[in-house]
Amino acid sequence: MPTPLRAWLDERLPLADLIETLRHKTVPHHRHSIWYYFGGVTLFLFGIQVGTGALLLLYYRPSANEAYESVQFITARVPFGWLVRSIHAWSANLMVAGAFAHFFSVLFLHAYRRPRELTWVSGVLLLFLTLAFGFTGYLLPWNEVSFFATRVGTDIAAAVPLVGHGLVRFMRGGDDVTGATLTRLFGFHVAILPAVATTLVGLHLLLVQRHGMSVPPSVEQRAAEDPKTLGAMPFLPHFLLRDLFAWTAVLALMAGLATFYPWELGAKADAFAPAPAGIRPEWYFLWAFETLKYVPPRIAGIDGESLAVITMGVGAAAVLLLPFLAGRRSGARRLIVYLGAAMLGFMLFMTGLALTGGAR
Amino acid sequence: MTRFVLVTVVAWLLSAALSPSHVRAQTPPADPTAAFQDDVHASAGLTCVACHANETNGTYRSPLRTAIAPACATCHSDPTYMQRFAPQVRVDQWLQYQTSTHGKRMAAGDDRVATCTDCHGAHGVKRVTDSRSPVSPLNVATTCARCHGDTARMTLFNRTAAPPADWAASVHATALLKRGDTSAPTCATCHGSHGAVPPGVSSVANVCAQCHVREAELFRSSPKKVIFEAIGQAECLTCHGNHRIEPPADTLIGLDKGAVCAQCHDATGNGAGTIRDMRQALDRLSTAMSRADATITRAEHAGMLLDDGRAALRTAREHQVQSHVLVHAFAAGPFGEQATAGIAAAQRAQEAGDAALRELQTRRRGLAIATLLVLAFLVTLGLKIRSLSWTA
Repeated sequence: MPTPLRAWLDERLPLADLIETLRHKTVPHHRHSIWYYFGGVTLFLFGIQVGTGALLLLYYRPSANEAYESVQFITARVPFGWLVRSIHAWSANLMVAGAFAHFFSVLFLHAYRRPRELTWVSGVLLLFLTLAFGFTGYLLPWNEVSFFATRVGTDIAAAVPLVGHGLVRFMRGGDDVTGATLTRLFGFHVAILPAVATTLVGLHLLLVQRHGMSVPPSVEQRAAEDPKTLGAMPFLPHFLLRDLFAWTAVLALMAGLATFYPWELGAKADAFAPAPAGIRPEWYFLWAFETLKYVPPRIAGIDGESLAVITMGVGAAAVLLLPFLAGRRSGARRLIVYLGAAMLGFMLFMTGLALTGGAR
Repeated sequence: MTRFVLVTVVAWLLSAALSPSHVRAQTPPADPTAAFQDDVHASAGLTCVACHANETNGTYRSPLRTAIAPACATCHSDPTYMQRFAPQVRVDQWLQYQTSTHGKRMAAGDDRVATCTDCHGAHGVKRVTDSRSPVSPLNVATTCARCHGDTARMTLFNRTAAPPADWAASVHATALLKRGDTSAPTCATCHGSHGAVPPGVSSVANVCAQCHVREAELFRSSPKKVIFEAIGQAECLTCHGNHRIEPPADTLIGLDKGAVCAQCHDATGNGAGTIRDMRQALDRLSTAMSRADATITRAEHAGMLLDDGRAALRTAREHQVQSHVLVHAFAAGPFGEQATAGIAAAQRAQEAGDAALRELQTRRRGLAIATLLVLAFLVTLGLKIRSLSWTA
């Protein structure tokens, strides 16, 4: 950087302090280090989402009469609109996959332990927000599949005891999925969720910076016996270049997917048409959708669907509060690995079941 | 009082005619009382004694078959009475029936032919608009086929049992039964329902013209009209047949085997040139449309949007339909204009498809270059990472 400009910036911004901090920052290096990069990849994809989302906003019109046509216009007429829309859709899916990979890696490597409880909580909230982004964005093209999938998805909320019907009305902006639902979900997708997510991402990064990367207990134990098994990699430039490598690889993958498998628009939603066969939500909600199909109507005198939704809610709360529930006991950590593996196995199994036909 | 006497007589006649030993066209329900619960007459407030008036001991006899239609007519021909239930209901069924082959034979005492209950049922009568009714548009052909598709029964009347099967193989049956288009013609559309008679040679064009208005107009203005009259041919039927109507196809036109023109024309006769030109134009249009559709479909499967191409293809299809219609003018002029316009529209669709495929190639070339650059960057980055070392 030219000296006069750097001097000008140094006088106004704490750049020198920041560079000095990063120069001395190190990242633990061990046999599980590869999992550290999934957080960075998810953050990179979040950035892609913001960028492509902003470009789509230039042409998208959030009303039942215009939404589909505006997306069609973006895809067919706007220069590179097809690429931007496809990258937005593909990066959204890759972001969900990245967030899940990051979540399970942190879970299995026990990175939620003291003093990183709040890092975990902010991360889990970000995972929930990522799913909320997926849900609210799905309806925006206003096509047949998204319309009926949103109707089915919002119906599930009705099973929440006491507040279920109010919740459905709140999400839909009425009794059924209409233009009001589209406007409402659009507002969530482009204003409320990004504001909350950006704040949480900032907090999450600050906490990661504050506490550093967690070293798994097994690596710590081995390092106590053999210090060579645990190294420290400089953040600048070593770790950052590896992060950049991962981001570039994801970018190449995304561009390939967008070009060779462009995201289809389908037929325009028609509220009066019968629901087409095979309506189902996005892949990351499939496990829950499929599970609800197998739940009996009544379980011990209680509505089966309500019980399943309550169980999922309790499960989500337990995941959020995991560091506080687990404590410091190694036995609890082992149990968490088993439960986490069971949860992952169940989700994969139910998703596979849904994709291969499953319950009708 | 008059009505009471009539109903009493009708009830007795009905019970006599429905005796098990009698030859019937329609099988009576196993349980008449249960069937009557879901009968249009029951829903109108009528009970068993409305027809079985003088039989209160619970044993109702079937009426004579020759007496059924007159019995039904006591109410259904009375506008004042029927208006109580449906102000716009028709009351001419009895008059129509008397003009039909069924009605005439029945009046002559031949009770083997169809009467009201054979088509509508006796105790579970539904409205024609009710899809469960045997005479609803989707069911009426099956109902007619119970007798008219029965070879043994038709032999007694010196008639063929082929029409129901022929109709079932027709473009009309496909439209009605497969596409659910209830405006497509079924037996009653051409033959009438209560006044069922086969249309004669001179009136068949009028029957077809109920729906095929433009084709009928063109035919009547064409020189073929006079020729067909002179040789006693039944207009539409000569080329299209009656029950087994084939879908319109280019192969109907031409001088080759299977083409309807070849029934009268050969390659050396008058009009052979026009016929050949028409067929060639239809073939060109059809080929251009198929080719454009294949190109557009390929581009769409690759993720391209081709609204313009699809619109042009729809226009070409409209011209193709118009061309098929204009064949009935038996003249090259207007037909040629439509076919040429169709070919031009198909070419526009083809150009849109080709442009989309070119655009796709451009995108892929661009991506290939971008991917190479990204890969080069990755390799450079990888080499840089490998060259860096640090002290743990």
